Amino acid sequence: MSELAHPMKSTFALRAVALALWLGLAATTHAAPDAQDILAASDAVRNPARPFAVTVTLLEFRNTRQTDANTLAVISKADPGSGQYRSLIRIVAPQRDANKLMLKNGNDLWFFDPASQASIRLSPQQRLLGQASNGDVVTVNLAKDYKAELTGEEELTDGERVMRRAYKLDLAAVSPDVTYHRVEMWVNTTSSWPIKARFFAESGHLLKTAYYRKFQPQLGRERPTEVVIIDGLDPAWVTVMRYSDYAWREVPDAWFQRDYLPRFKPE
Amino acid sequence: MRFITCSLCLALYWNASAQAADPPAELPDELDALSLADKAPTETAQPAQNWRVFVEGAIGRNELRDAAPRVNTQRLSIDLRFDARLAPGLRAVLSDRVDLAHSNGVPPAENVNTLREAYLSWAPGDHQVIDLGRVNVRNGAAMGFNPTDWFKENALRSVVTPDPAVLRENRQGTVVLQGQQLWRSGALTATFSPELARAPDPDAFALDAGATNPSNRWLLAGSYKFSNAVNPQLLIYGGADTPTQLGLNVSALAGDAVVVFGEFSAGKGRSLVAQALGLAETESQQQRAAAGLTYTTGFNLSFTAEAQYNSAAPDRSQWDALDPVARLGVLTTADALQDLPVRRAWFFHATWKDLLLRRLDLSAFVRLDSETDSRDQWLEARYHWDHADLSVQWQGFSGDSGSVFGSIPQRQAVEVALRYYF
Repeated sequence: MSELAHPMKSTFALRAVALALWLGLAATTHAAPDAQDILAASDAVRNPARPFAVTVTLLEFRNTRQTDANTLAVISKADPGSGQYRSLIRIVAPQRDANKLMLKNGNDLWFFDPASQASIRLSPQQRLLGQASNGDVVTVNLAKDYKAELTGEEELTDGERVMRRAYKLDLAAVSPDVTYHRVEMWVNTTSSWPIKARFFAESGHLLKTAYYRKFQPQLGRERPTEVVIIDGLDPAWVTVMRYSDYAWREVPDAWFQRDYLPRFKPE
Repeated sequence: MRFITCSLCLALYWNASAQAADPPAELPDELDALSLADKAPTETAQPAQNWRVFVEGAIGRNELRDAAPRVNTQRLSIDLRFDARLAPGLRAVLSDRVDLAHSNGVPPAENVNTLREAYLSWAPGDHQVIDLGRVNVRNGAAMGFNPTDWFKENALRSVVTPDPAVLRENRQGTVVLQGQQLWRSGALTATFSPELARAPDPDAFALDAGATNPSNRWLLAGSYKFSNAVNPQLLIYGGADTPTQLGLNVSALAGDAVVVFGEFSAGKGRSLVAQALGLAETESQQQRAAAGLTYTTGFNLSFTAEAQYNSAAPDRSQWDALDPVARLGVLTTADALQDLPVRRAWFFHATWKDLLLRRLDLSAFVRLDSETDSRDQWLEARYHWDHADLSVQWQGFSGDSGSVFGSIPQRQAVEVALRYYF
């Protein structure tokens, strides 16, 4: 009996430890996840960890009619100091603007026209690409520029019209170098995929709504290859941004400066 | 000026009305936008072409101040730019424009070819670049007057519009050997422009090296990025017949909607009047400067105000002392050198993209001479399709008969142009 009692005690003790571990794990699982971690995980879905190149196609619609199309070739690389991305953007189409360049480094934005050899500093408000702001077309690490607050979990329809459970984050700008003052963001609770975002001006009015969709394997993981942007004032004004031709692309840090723009001629 | 003001006010009112208009009876749902995206065309993006070619046909009319008959003009322009990688690290650029012009004026318009650029660029490493050939070497942070853009002198062969951006494009580059060294936060560019000929060549298809390379000249331009906001450029320029000049370019953001900029040069030189009239004059210290800001509204109207200064140009009393022929000589010389013809001036420029309707852009400027209160005004409306542009431009000079812009024989000019991109 005693021989039997010992294993029973042992089993009981093991069960007690397992229960305690399970309870502890359960407690950990149900603790509110860190909002900044959710945002960083969502950033990692959108943004490859190493320097990369991508082609961005912008299709603009007004009242369901296509009114404009632009194609851009973008090279992005994170700044080792700030962690924020720097981007060289070359216009591929339309033909009249082909090979014009933009250099974006936070709010530092330069436009270069090879015909006139003119490098012009632009303000964030100067839009060159229709509805999409210059910041929309390049990679941005939101977790570097915004303080996230988890305001709850919601069921919502994603870009593929599937109901998803999502963390709702409220992002407040902590850096002056941002395009939007405040952002509401919905992030898939299981996959960390960004689902939807609403971008607000300092005045509080809605500037645009974005749906992230068409997730496909790109540069090592599933990433959104299409963003649908709906204007905040005029919902019939829609821009579809498509990302294609992803590739790793290492470029020197020295290329991300104004004086290099006349020399930039990518392969 | 009144015409421009009225047009802008009307456009502002119209745009504001359009923005304040009632929303559609039934706003589309966000999911409708997704349906729209589902149906959006999916063709693969084509790589950028190495060349850009357009043909432009234009008709115009010039009105002179005196009782002379109006001058009708016709122009056909062919514009080519080729920019390609020949091999890893080796790039070739060719940029040329032919303007075939006809007019009933005296003297009649002439056909002109402008070889803007023709050079090879070699990058032996990621941080070095060497250029050899005719290059449009251009510096300057300002919009209407660029004191540090020294190679602009005598670079224009054909002027089809007074738009400052186009003037910087449609000019002959200078033949140079230049190298650039890059660092993580800075760059240094050294340029040598050798003497190739002493006098300009007016022949229609001349390479015109005498205009762009009349003497041995050099330029050192260095920039350092102290922060994202501060990235000044310091320049030193000189040559065999050119006293050393110092230059500075700065620009910075002032909020989300404003860019401020400043450009400055200083060095010895002769006054504009002495250069125009061939007067013997000892070189003295001269300063040139342009400073201003560009403000962009939420509806994509960008407005630039720029103050301009040129110590080498005549002030009011010096201008008044000149006879009409001498005044015209000063203006002609300032035009050729692309220099500011008066001591102090203001430049206001506006660009409004998608004005009233999508793809319609409006651009305008006013040059205001602060010495004699005269004006040079320009307005352009441009509508663009995928492969074509239709533009209408108007330029007018106003002021008293003895004033700076009032001394220009032309009163106003209008041109309609159709451009097709291949």
